[in-house]
Amino acid sequence: MAVWRVVVLLVLTLAVGVGWGYLWWGREATRLTRELAEARAAAGPREYHAEGVIRAVLPEMNIVVITHDEITGYMPAMTMGFRAVSPKIYETVDVGDAVRFTLRGTPPNLALVAVEKVTSQ
Amino acid sequence: MNELGLVARFVHLAASILTVGSAAFLIIAGHSDRATARRWQAQVQRLMRALVVMALAAGVVALAQQAASLEQRPRAAVEPAALWRVAVETHAGAVWIVRQSLLLLLGGFIFARADVSRRVDWRAARAYGLLLAGAALALLGAAGHAAAVEPGTAAAVAADMFHVLAAGVWAGALPALTLLLASAWSEAGADARPYAVVAARRFSRTAVALMVALAFSGTLVAVSQIGSIPALVGTRYGRLLLLKLALLVPIAGLAALNRRLLPQLSGEAGRVGRPAMRRLGACVAVEAIVAVAILGVVAVMGVTAPARHEQPVWPFTFRLAWESLAYAPESRPFVLVGSQVAVLGVAAAIASRLLRRRARPALLGGGAVLVVAGLAMALPPLATDAYPTTYQRPAVPYQAGSIATGAMTYREHCAACHGAGGAGNGPAAAALSPPPSDLRAHHAALHTAGDLFWWITHGRRQMPAFGERLDVEARWDLVNFIRALAAGDTARELTPLVQPERPLVVAPDFAFAVGPTPPRTLKDYRGRRSVLVVLYTLPASRARLSALAARYDVLVPLGVEIIAVPTDAAPDAIKQLGAEPRVLFPVVTDGAAEIVAAYGLLARAPHAEFLVDRQGYLRAIDTRSRDTDTLVANVEALNRERVVVAPPAEHVH
Repeated sequence: MAVWRVVVLLVLTLAVGVGWGYLWWGREATRLTRELAEARAAAGPREYHAEGVIRAVLPEMNIVVITHDEITGYMPAMTMGFRAVSPKIYETVDVGDAVRFTLRGTPPNLALVAVEKVTSQ
Repeated sequence: MNELGLVARFVHLAASILTVGSAAFLIIAGHSDRATARRWQAQVQRLMRALVVMALAAGVVALAQQAASLEQRPRAAVEPAALWRVAVETHAGAVWIVRQSLLLLLGGFIFARADVSRRVDWRAARAYGLLLAGAALALLGAAGHAAAVEPGTAAAVAADMFHVLAAGVWAGALPALTLLLASAWSEAGADARPYAVVAARRFSRTAVALMVALAFSGTLVAVSQIGSIPALVGTRYGRLLLLKLALLVPIAGLAALNRRLLPQLSGEAGRVGRPAMRRLGACVAVEAIVAVAILGVVAVMGVTAPARHEQPVWPFTFRLAWESLAYAPESRPFVLVGSQVAVLGVAAAIASRLLRRRARPALLGGGAVLVVAGLAMALPPLATDAYPTTYQRPAVPYQAGSIATGAMTYREHCAACHGAGGAGNGPAAAALSPPPSDLRAHHAALHTAGDLFWWITHGRRQMPAFGERLDVEARWDLVNFIRALAAGDTARELTPLVQPERPLVVAPDFAFAVGPTPPRTLKDYRGRRSVLVVLYTLPASRARLSALAARYDVLVPLGVEIIAVPTDAAPDAIKQLGAEPRVLFPVVTDGAAEIVAAYGLLARAPHAEFLVDRQGYLRAIDTRSRDTDTLVANVEALNRERVVVAPPAEHVH
C-alpha cells in the first residue's frame, strides 16, 4: 500500500477515535447526571440537620427566619424562612437564640420539626 | 534525584524540539533525487530515530522523578503503582500519556522505513512526521506553568504552545541545516549544492518569520508568568529569562552574519560558494550549540516557580517613579525637555535609515548621543530610594484583623514619636531632629508597602530597627495599619453622596460570622453586591436600623447587602436588637472588634455607614444624615457606573 494512503488512514483513525471518545464521554456524563438526580428524587422524605441563629419568629405567617449554616445536601449557608410543623415551636425560641434544628420532608417541601437551643451564647 | 529529573527534562525538551525542527527542515528543504541530498535525508531520519528514542526514555525518567518527588520517597520512582498514580491521577500525567503515545506512534512510523521514493508518499510521510512531532511538542505547553495561570488559562496555554512550536521549528532545524551544509560543502557533495543553497534561503526566510512569532508569543508568556519589572530582575525565574535573552544576543549576531553570507552561496560553485558554505555551516553549528544552551535554561525555568508567585528582591538602591515629581515640582521641566530630546534622538536614528549608506553613521551617532543626553536629563529626577523589599507584597493581607493588631503594636512601639494619629507629633517628637515622619496620606503616596517594611525592619535616620523585636507578621500588620491610617486621611474627601467614577480608598477586607454560621468575608461580595457596612451603637442607632430593616426588601433587589457591626462587639448583638425592628440582614456576632478598630480609622463616630462598591472600594461615608433615600440614590449611581478600575489586589501596594 502506498505510504500516503497509510498516512491518511492513520490520521482518519486518530480523528475518528478522538471524536468518538469525546462524544461517548459527553453521553456518559449526561447519563450519570440524570441517574444521580433520579436516585435523589426517589429517596423520599429525608431529614436535614443544621445550626443557626433565630432572626425572626412570625407565628402569624407560620414562619421562623433562621440565619443558618450549610445544610448538607440541600442548601448553602443563608438567611431563610422555614415553615414549622407545630405552633409549639414558636414558643420555645426567641430572636438571637443560637439553635440546632431539624428539617424533614422531600425537597423543596421541608418543614421544621425540631429546634434545640445551643448554650454557647 | 532532583538533578536527575532536571537532566531528564532537559534531554526530553531538547530531543522533542530537535525532532520537530528536523521534521520541519526536511519539508522546508523539500524532496530531491540527488544522491547527496538523499543521503542527507537518510542521515536526518537516523537522527530523528535517535531523538525520538531519547525523548521517550527521558520522558520515562522524568515521570519517575515526578513520582518520587510527589510521594516524597525515592523508591516511588521504580514502583509501577506509584508511576501509574502519577500518570493517571494528575493533569501533568494525563498530558504525559498523550505526549508519549504520540512520540511512540512517531517512533513506529519512522522506524518502519517505508519506501517514499514517490513524491506524494514523501510528502505524506514528512507531513505526518511533523504533525506527530509538533503535536507532542506543543502539548508540553499544556502541562507547564501556563496550565496554572488563572484566569485566562486557555490563552496562556495557547501562547505557550505557539512559542514552543515556533522554537522547535527554528532551533530544532539548526543541526539538520548544519548537516546539509556539511555534506554539500565536501568535494563529493557538489551535486547537492544548489539544493543546499535553496534550503538555506528558504530557512532564512522562515527563520525571520519565526523570530517575530517567538518574540510575540514570548512576550505574552513573560507577561503572564512574570508580569512586572521587579519580578523580572528580582526573582530567580525572571533572572533566568534575562539569561535566556542574553544568550539570544550572540544568536542574533550570528543570524545577521549568516544573512550576509547567503548571497555569496550562489556564487559559482567550487570557488566562491564552497568557502561561504563552510563558514555558514560553522556559524549555524555555533548557533545550534547556543540554542541548546538556551534549552538548558528553559529546562531550569520549567522547574522554577514562576516569578508571579515569588517575592521579588529589588537589586538596585533606587527606582524610577512618576510620584517623585509631586515632591519636586522644580524638576518637571528637566523631565519634559529630557524626554523630548531622547525622542528626537530616536527619531534621528530611525531617519538615518533613509540616508545614503555613507551618511548613516553620523546621524545614527548623533541620535544615540541625543538619546543618552535626554535620558541623563530626564531620569535622575524620577529616581527615588529603593530597598530589597520595595516591591514585596505584604505577607499579611490588608484585613481588619491585621490592621487592629497593627494598631496595638503601633501604640506600644511607635506612637511615642509618630503620635497617636500618625502626624509625627508624639510626646517624644520634640526632642528629635529631624522630626519623626508624618505617616498620613500626603506623605505615604511615594512609598510602597515594601519600603515601610524595610524601614520598620532596619530603622531609618533616628528610628531604631524593629527587625529583632517584632516578627515578620507583626511588621506587616504595622504596615497595614499605617496604610489604613493613610486611607483614613484620604477618606476625609468622601461624602455621604457617591462621587461617580472616583474610587479613591480601598475598603479593608474583614472576616465576620453571624451566630454559628461559617465565617464570611467582605471580599466574598466582590463582583456581586455593593455592601453597606453599618457601625452602630445602641440605643442611639435603633431608629436608623429600623429604617434600614424596613427598606431591606427594596435594597436587596438593588444589589446591596447590609452588614451591621455593633461598636461594643457584643456576642449577643442579635438578642440585644430584639424582635423589633425585624432585622434580617447580617448582624456581626464574631469579628466586630477588628472591624470597629479598622473602620474607626476611616471615620470616627458612634454610628457610621460605609458604602463599598462591587469592586471593593469605599465610595461614601455617612455619619450624620442617615437617609435611606440617599442610600438608594447612591446604590443606583453605583449600579449605573461602568467598571472604571480593576478590583484592588488582596494586598496594599
